[in-house]
Amino acid sequence: MNFKTLATSALALSLATGVARAETGAADVIGTYADIAAAAYGDSLSTAQALSDAVDALIASPSEATLEAAKAAWKASRVPYQQTEVYRFGNAIVDDWEGKVNAWPLDEGLIDYVDDSYIVSDENEYADLNIIANPQVSIAGADVDAGTITPELIGEVLNEADGIETNVARGYHAIEFLLWGQDLNGTDPGAGARPYTDFVTGDGCTGGNCDRRVAYLRAATDLLVADLQEMAANWDEGGAARAEVESDPDGLLRILTGMGSLSYGEQAGERMRLGLMLNDPEEEHDCFSDNTHWSHYYDGLGIQNVYLGHYTRVDGTLVEGPALASLVADIDPELDAEMRARLTTTMEALQALADAAEGGFAYDQMLAPGNAEGEALIMGGVNGLIDQTKSIERVVTALGLAGIEVEGSDSLDNPSAVFQ
Amino acid sequence: MRHFLAAALLAASPALGGVTEALDAHILPGYAGFAEASAALAEAAGADCTAPALAAPYHAAFDAWMRVGDIRMGPSEHGALAIVFWPDARGFTQKTLQRLIAAQDPVIDDPAAFADVSIAGRGLFALDMLLFDTAFSGYAPQSYACRLAQRLTADLAAQAAALDAEWADSFAAVLRSAGAPDNATYLSEQEAVRALYTQILSSLEFTRDSRLGNPLGTFERPRPARAEARRSGRSLRNAVAATDAAVEFAEALADWELPATRAALDLVHEAADKIGDPAFADIDDLGERFKVEVLQQKIQGVETAIEEEIGLVLGLQPGFNSQDGD
Repeated sequence: MNFKTLATSALALSLATGVARAETGAADVIGTYADIAAAAYGDSLSTAQALSDAVDALIASPSEATLEAAKAAWKASRVPYQQTEVYRFGNAIVDDWEGKVNAWPLDEGLIDYVDDSYIVSDENEYADLNIIANPQVSIAGADVDAGTITPELIGEVLNEADGIETNVARGYHAIEFLLWGQDLNGTDPGAGARPYTDFVTGDGCTGGNCDRRVAYLRAATDLLVADLQEMAANWDEGGAARAEVESDPDGLLRILTGMGSLSYGEQAGERMRLGLMLNDPEEEHDCFSDNTHWSHYYDGLGIQNVYLGHYTRVDGTLVEGPALASLVADIDPELDAEMRARLTTTMEALQALADAAEGGFAYDQMLAPGNAEGEALIMGGVNGLIDQTKSIERVVTALGLAGIEVEGSDSLDNPSAVFQ
Repeated sequence: MRHFLAAALLAASPALGGVTEALDAHILPGYAGFAEASAALAEAAGADCTAPALAAPYHAAFDAWMRVGDIRMGPSEHGALAIVFWPDARGFTQKTLQRLIAAQDPVIDDPAAFADVSIAGRGLFALDMLLFDTAFSGYAPQSYACRLAQRLTADLAAQAAALDAEWADSFAAVLRSAGAPDNATYLSEQEAVRALYTQILSSLEFTRDSRLGNPLGTFERPRPARAEARRSGRSLRNAVAATDAAVEFAEALADWELPATRAALDLVHEAADKIGDPAFADIDDLGERFKVEVLQQKIQGVETAIEEEIGLVLGLQPGFNSQDGD
């Protein structure tokens, strides 16, 4: 929605005319942008396929080891996926799809059992539906046969049931909840501690309905792989998302819109600062696995990637090409230096956050009321992201003004053409 | 070309006049008024903390807030969040109030510790629920909930005073000195003007998308329970007040007349006057739904007029706003 507002703006028009004169070609920069997307979504897919294999192994032979292996595979898949989030707000094709894969926050009681301390608010009467325990349910007045848990049931009936966004039945976070379970440690350290026996069908099953839990995990993982297949294909040569950005005269604005919207409203605001100010450990982005610090880190890295025009794949190979940074440097070297410096500052802050969390100072603890050290670490990231947003706005302005080709621009000569 | 020259001229020095006007005629009196009204609310709660006694000063404080309530820059970038935590899709305010009251949490006796409580349990929307939701509002004069009302109002007054002081004593000067060599925040006057302009458009967009869009939901599934401040019946009042405030802000920022904007605002008032329920509770009635959709369109009309009468004249596009994202 916001994407459209910005992309159809007058600035988009003046920006496109402006950059046509720069030395680094806009088309080359957009080509690099699409190449990085293809690589990062491709990596997300291959790591999700590895997760799928690990889920097979867990189901075939539930044990501490197979559960840990599945968790490790889930975390590994977050690394490339989070780096793709910068594509979301600039590309409607991604934004319209994203809710299937990374929706958050969720009322996890929709899916499986939860602790007695779980509070159902009057915002979502299905927050404790517990589909794993209940084969027959009623949603928005309609009887639902959940006797067999299938990708269709999860994707088309349960996800966003009754139009409520926190009814997240699919995607990374639904799988995360199935693998880890609720994190009941509050603002103390420790992640969810679901026992592997929750996946033991027959004797030894804990948590009840293990066969249905296994079916849910299998179906949700299949959905994730299929969804990532779809998006990876969209960015391959000939894919729809690539074609759209390459043919858009305002393609550069898409890059900057994605960078700015993810930096400011989404990551700094919704994901980091809000959780801190709510003091709620469930408001951390990967709350079941306690992987939040890495999610933040790789979101930030994705933003830096598209500016600098390079991405390191999960196998270590480098994807690189003509960068937005060079385009900016051609026009205003000082601004390019400022942009680079602020992206670096953010990454240092996110690295410090990750180091602290890996060093034993859990993200949950940082969120505790009155924890000044945690607040400083999180706000370091937030402030870095807010500052870099200001530079992104300057880049938008600089690219738009660079050609000084205001004369003849639709935006000034024909106002009604712009504001429609 | 004519427009470009006009833009260049206007952007030179009159734009700074716009910043000064916006501060002196809109922003600073807005925060001062909110500080005063929330102090009055806290004082009223000191005398009688029961819900009925606080309704009038509560509305007065919320009205005062609405003049500047959608601003998210400078001290309000973080500072507004503990005053208005909304929308609340996961019911955090309800959960936080329930938790405090059930535990009789002594945190309410310590002003400094209360400032670290979840923002969902503080500010105007916590008060809206405590004072107007029948699950809470029937509390007795000597009860924990009554003392909670006193703490909430005192905490609100303290936040309001802090915001007022930070704007008046420090951030106003940053805006006024935009483009000065030692100003690292706004490298030019144009950046300051754009930052203010972004606030105006973001506020109108928020009113359209969230204040009205949330209760509208979809045609098949309206969501009256998602109306802002519905418990106190302020939903429509807030939408209109926010639009009035945006126009006042725009008129201060522009050094010229904004006739189309003014005319568009008149249409907003006309549309609002036709709406029956101030909390949009009857929005599942097709006729009532249509009236709220018309109001949405009229607010869009104000946005378009401001874009034409300010944005186009100054060659400005809004920057990123805090509502971008989900």
